[in-house]
Amino acid sequence: MNLSRSPSLPIRTNTSTPARISVRRVLLYAVMIALVAIMVIPFAWMLSTSLKAQQYILETPPRLFPNPLTMESYTGLAERIDLARVVFNSGFVAIATTIGQIVISAMAAYAFARLQWRGRNLVFTLYLATMMVPSVVMVIPQFILIRQLGWVNTYTALIVPSLFNAFGTFLLRQSFLGLPKDFEEAAFVDGANPFTIFFRIMLPLNMPAIATLTVLSFMGSWNSYLFPLFVARKEEVITLPVALGVLQAGPRALTEWNLVMAGAVITVLPILIVYLLAQKWFVQGVVSSGIKG
Amino acid sequence: MFRKLFLVGLLVLAIGIVPALAQTTTVRYFTFSAAPDHLEDLDTIIAAFEEANPDVNVEVETAPFADYFTLLQADIVSGDAPDVFELNYENFVTYAANGTMLDLSSYLDAAAPFYPRALEAFQYEGVQLALPATFSTVLMFYNADLFDAAGIDYPTVDWTWDDVHIAATAIRALGDDTWGVYSGVQFWEFYKKAAQNGECQFFNEDMTESTINSQACVDTLNMMTSFMTDGLMPTAAQLSGVSDGDLFASGKLGMIVTGIWMIPAFSEAPFNWDVEVEPMINQHANHFFANGVAVSATTSVPEAAAAWAQFLASSEVAANVRVESSWELPALNDPAYFESYLSQTPPANRAAVFTALENPVTPPVIVRQSEMQDTVNALITRVVDGEITAQEALDQAKVELDALIAP
Repeated sequence: MNLSRSPSLPIRTNTSTPARISVRRVLLYAVMIALVAIMVIPFAWMLSTSLKAQQYILETPPRLFPNPLTMESYTGLAERIDLARVVFNSGFVAIATTIGQIVISAMAAYAFARLQWRGRNLVFTLYLATMMVPSVVMVIPQFILIRQLGWVNTYTALIVPSLFNAFGTFLLRQSFLGLPKDFEEAAFVDGANPFTIFFRIMLPLNMPAIATLTVLSFMGSWNSYLFPLFVARKEEVITLPVALGVLQAGPRALTEWNLVMAGAVITVLPILIVYLLAQKWFVQGVVSSGIKG
Repeated sequence: MFRKLFLVGLLVLAIGIVPALAQTTTVRYFTFSAAPDHLEDLDTIIAAFEEANPDVNVEVETAPFADYFTLLQADIVSGDAPDVFELNYENFVTYAANGTMLDLSSYLDAAAPFYPRALEAFQYEGVQLALPATFSTVLMFYNADLFDAAGIDYPTVDWTWDDVHIAATAIRALGDDTWGVYSGVQFWEFYKKAAQNGECQFFNEDMTESTINSQACVDTLNMMTSFMTDGLMPTAAQLSGVSDGDLFASGKLGMIVTGIWMIPAFSEAPFNWDVEVEPMINQHANHFFANGVAVSATTSVPEAAAAWAQFLASSEVAANVRVESSWELPALNDPAYFESYLSQTPPANRAAVFTALENPVTPPVIVRQSEMQDTVNALITRVVDGEITAQEALDQAKVELDALIAP
């Protein structure tokens, strides 16, 4: 719609002086810098603590820039836990879960958005209703099921329960619904069947939403602690967050915070990389779907 | 045709079954104390056990201490408990009362030189349900450099809490961020200090009434909180997330009452420190803690599981590995292990670990144990926060404890 203004209405023109603009700008920048600082300082502190020796962590007054700077917490961490193994486990589980979630969510979303079948809306409502059950409540029943299936201490236990994601289905369904039907109809006229339409039209045109789901599900799986804690107890399948959990010493020892922070830095890196790669699409996806993770 | 198929089927079955018959027994062992620092030490013990028992294979599962008991409960609820599991003395009664552990009496090697007090700790209604693997006591650790700086004498075995108060005042005067003493104010410390008072009993002898609001108990609780109210001991807000152990390790705390499990953590502290038996009010009373190993009541391999539990708790290999790696103290009454343990420094006065064993104190036990602890802890917290007086808190505690022991 074209909303051209009538000449009789007062038109707000930018008549502020350059000085006023710069005051506003300065204020705006000050607020933005403060917000950035609030977000960044914990990360800077994490990095700084990971580069300090144990005895300097609790020094008063605290220092942001480590002096002396040391990598000993990273070597110490590698001595305590089999880093290569747990990073591989976490990465493998996160990638497999993400791919599986996208495939299953996209197919379900297409069925809910476009295919006509009896009871579609009822099934979709029921599927959405599962989002209302807090995941913590499901941990013990799921764990008992996994035990009975004999899946404890296997990758299967870490991957399969998270493949079916109501949120991902909802996100992609909304995105599919936003696409004009004309594309599909044109393809249909050209002789395409639903599978062709799904793979050659729907998926490529919904990349922003798929990128968003990729970041969210990779993050969810990579950071997951509680369920992996239950089902992965052996070194061969243990994931990074669970392995780092043992560094929190509990009441009977001192926690070596530099090691914990070194572990946190290693945990954050892949998420940052995935986010940077998908950033352009991620923001678009969040904006167009009106959902944030 | 069918005969051929039948024969092929039999062959396939045989190929499947024969290795199964020859397979070794697997024992699943669940532990909180091994990871991450003592996994290799545990592997050494397992290797020795498997060498002596070639048909048994021990599989280790670990979990962080904070999550261990949640996972153990989930395992037991799911009907697939680990064959052998570690548990601490504080949790033993709960698991014993729920019938989750196998009676080990018939498997127990009479020659195993268990420390008698530790062995008793893991009996429930006269039945040996777990074996003590390690034990520990609680001592007073002190920063000798801060004592020197304040120009005061080091603690001795005859110290009372009044002496601690004087020393803490002198150390606190050294600087705004230097604290005198830390000794927790909660249920576990309260019943121990009640025993140090001697007159303060939580219940009468017949266990028909609580006597927790007696004058002796009020005095004891007031003594405990006085360090905080006099500004000699940091409050939780003043600690702001730093643990009491971290405060001591950073050289900013004169004295701390804590377990000997902290000895390895403090061993690299950049100051001189030592230990002494905890001060008394009227008499000595010391905490005694133990970790034990239990065999699940539902295990399908009781013999192998009990053998592993016993090896872990009492074998020479296990005891030596524990002593050499400072992985707590084996609960064995054998001077050879103690000599090796005593020769390690710091602390110089390591013998205090054993002096403390002369006056062990056990917690008051009622059926509704955890409710009693929660009640007393909640009321003590209100005293610490200055909301109510010690007298008011203990009057209220008496009413609630009477209700808990009411038939």
